Amino acid sequence: MLKNITLGQYYSADSCIHSLDPRVKIRFAIVYIIMLLIDRNLYLFGMLTAIFLISVLLSRVSFRTILKGTRGIFIFILLCSAINIFTTSGQVLYHIGGLSVTLEGVIKFGFVFWRMMLIIFMSSMLMYTTTPSQLTDGLEKCFHLSGNVAMGITIALRFVSILSGELDRILKAQYARGVDFKSGGPKARIKKMGNVIVPLFQNAIDRAGNLGDAMDARCYRGGKERTKIKPLIYEISDVIGYIVLLAVTAASIWLAVKF
Amino acid sequence: MIKIRDLIFEYFDRDDAGHLTEMINAIRGINFDAEKGDFIAIAGKNGSGKSTFARILNRLVVPLEGTVLISGLDAMNEDNVIEIRKKVGMVFQNPDDQLIGSIVAEDIAFGAENIGVSPIKLWDQVISAVEMAGLVVYDENNKPNSKKAAADMKKMLYKRINDLSGGEKQKVALAGVLAMKPKCIVLDEATSMLDPHSRKEILDTIKQLNKKLGITVIMITHLMEELSYADMVYIMHNGRVAMKGRPKDIYAREKELLALGLDIPACAKLGKMLFEEGITAASDLYEINDMAQSIKSRFPNRFFLNTKMPEERKSHKEINPMQAVLADKISFSYGDKKIFEDVSFSVSKGEYVAIIGKTGVGKTTLLQHIPGLLKPRKGQIYVDGVDLWDKYTDVRKIRCKVGYVFQYPEQQLFAKNVYEDVVFGPRNIGISEVEAEKRAYESIRLVGLPDDVYDLPLDKLSGGQRRRVALAGILAMEPEYLILDEPVAGLDPEGRRQLLEIINAINKEAGITIIAVSHDVESIAEYADRVIVLEDKSAEEFNDVSESFYHMYMKYGDLEYLPVGMQLLVVLRSMGLETDCFETDAKGAVKAIRAALK
Repeated sequence: MLKNITLGQYYSADSCIHSLDPRVKIRFAIVYIIMLLIDRNLYLFGMLTAIFLISVLLSRVSFRTILKGTRGIFIFILLCSAINIFTTSGQVLYHIGGLSVTLEGVIKFGFVFWRMMLIIFMSSMLMYTTTPSQLTDGLEKCFHLSGNVAMGITIALRFVSILSGELDRILKAQYARGVDFKSGGPKARIKKMGNVIVPLFQNAIDRAGNLGDAMDARCYRGGKERTKIKPLIYEISDVIGYIVLLAVTAASIWLAVKF
Repeated sequence: MIKIRDLIFEYFDRDDAGHLTEMINAIRGINFDAEKGDFIAIAGKNGSGKSTFARILNRLVVPLEGTVLISGLDAMNEDNVIEIRKKVGMVFQNPDDQLIGSIVAEDIAFGAENIGVSPIKLWDQVISAVEMAGLVVYDENNKPNSKKAAADMKKMLYKRINDLSGGEKQKVALAGVLAMKPKCIVLDEATSMLDPHSRKEILDTIKQLNKKLGITVIMITHLMEELSYADMVYIMHNGRVAMKGRPKDIYAREKELLALGLDIPACAKLGKMLFEEGITAASDLYEINDMAQSIKSRFPNRFFLNTKMPEERKSHKEINPMQAVLADKISFSYGDKKIFEDVSFSVSKGEYVAIIGKTGVGKTTLLQHIPGLLKPRKGQIYVDGVDLWDKYTDVRKIRCKVGYVFQYPEQQLFAKNVYEDVVFGPRNIGISEVEAEKRAYESIRLVGLPDDVYDLPLDKLSGGQRRRVALAGILAMEPEYLILDEPVAGLDPEGRRQLLEIINAINKEAGITIIAVSHDVESIAEYADRVIVLEDKSAEEFNDVSESFYHMYMKYGDLEYLPVGMQLLVVLRSMGLETDCFETDAKGAVKAIRAALK
């Protein structure tokens, strides 16, 4: 379970999407999500799905990887959107117990589920095709953050997988010492989790100290005089990216108004 | 390049009331010189002050008194910090907490970015650092500037850090330093968490950089065999330089080293033994090839043209499945990645068994199957005749029977003092408090910790002691089988020796079965009853330790998997001396050589 965390998981591949300027990708993802929210109609959703599929093809990220990454959240979204089936009023199809299933509810469920999945898919595409430091460079420029915040996010993202591996090890070590996490009341369970969290925090603090030393040793002084191996400079492909973005926005609005 | 006079550094630990309790990691008056192109090793047991000294060289720690001149820059002067760090690069111990970028290129560029190298030059510096650190290797089939080489380089630059092995991560860390074009590299126990193969690769690379580019290297280590790489060795003890000399001269002073909590490497011991037995003429040989050449030059008429290696041997042992751990054709994979397939092996009660195999073959994964921490995709595991994954089996009961000590177990301690941590396990298994307490006291004694440690907080103990606390925590569960993953990794020679003795006593005196994975072949040769060789598609079992190691050699043709005694025998045999190859320890090897020379 812990190995499936997709947060900050970069997928290494050589593609035109990977080499796009992160600012283009961030703005594209934001606009894409807004377009998903402006209206609920088949044509708009069809076009946005097509755009997602094209971007997957262009990015050379394997579709299986994307699906796998959403496995954990899939059930959650399915359940949340399924609530709509019973809570929307309209033409009644069935009665299950005291609940009634309506046609409008089923349609709403379909759209909500579709929309949520596309949002997750598109944001994980952004993660897969952009390294955390590029992503934070981009966020820094888009939202005018300071360099230190961006560096903090980069490092935090790198630690996600290290600490999840460590958590896995600690849990196993506790199993090996006879702990049964499934038994006992809430109080006992919280106490048991404490025994996991203490070494995990200790570990994180030690590692953070070491990392701080390593950064010092490599002359890190905040953003001062710092150059970048990939400075954010727009190229022709980025301009094309923005043009595509404008076209998608225009088309979405047209579809939303027309149907 | 580096000139240090009368260096003093100390910091104090105070208790809650502000009283001075102890002085830690002090340096008490060190004089040290390093010229351009020197390769200097600094060794010492844990707490000797060697790491603090390394940190002063890079100005991570500010010296208190004395003169520290780095390339003529005074380390006391705050304005010189960045200039010093540009000149002296540092590679740290843990591959996981010194890398900053998420892909290789970003990480290597980090330091160079910080010192303001222009973006145009950055790429060139990163690429040449990748080459220098040996992350992309050129050879006959992969010439520089060829298409394949360019593709390899691109692939490496965009690899995710999380996908790299420990050895590769350390190479990235080295490359990150090299991209800053330093004059000196300080290695702070940089190889101590790696397997012997990666360790050798990194040190060979560094030796090359030292020879070809004249980069000064200062290597902090407690692995005594690594001292052979250096031109000059400093031995530190209690913050002072206790010994200084060429590796040869240091190895000759075995008694003094032992007194300082260190040791001489196994190959130096072998060299000495050969000299004492009158087989070689010099007492200071510590390279297997030098020893072999020396023997050949003294007894040329005992070397023949027949260099055929002896056949492998395989003897079998009967086991009683009701009194053993048994794996029957188990397979395991992480997602789509197959780790091993159809592996079978057995360990009888009371044995001391080691599992060896190449890096990445899945030894830790295999170990975690035994107490049911992982479930095999196919196949069965039996403990004393009970199928672990049968639906009627209570896995928790099995886990009480099979104790598991993780790699670096001291990182998982969590209680407020030694006793509380050790008693944690017994309290979980529903025995009375009195019984749990009794078990805790007994196991703390069993791991050789003094009586006054019981209520000490864990951070007051040394690394070796903390590891013993972790071991005691498992022993308090009174397991019948004890599984150890790299039990001595990262310990200094004294800590290693003590722990090995304790494990042996647990096996021989308390009668607990030991199943251990270890890279430390010398300790396996010394203590294990039997060795299982794990391969991709099978586990090979032999009744005799020497048979297992010899199988490793015949399979991979690499000496690094063998204890030094067998290394020498194999080399001599391949040079034409008709010696027996099935000896592992130095004594046996010397005896076999004597017999062949007669």
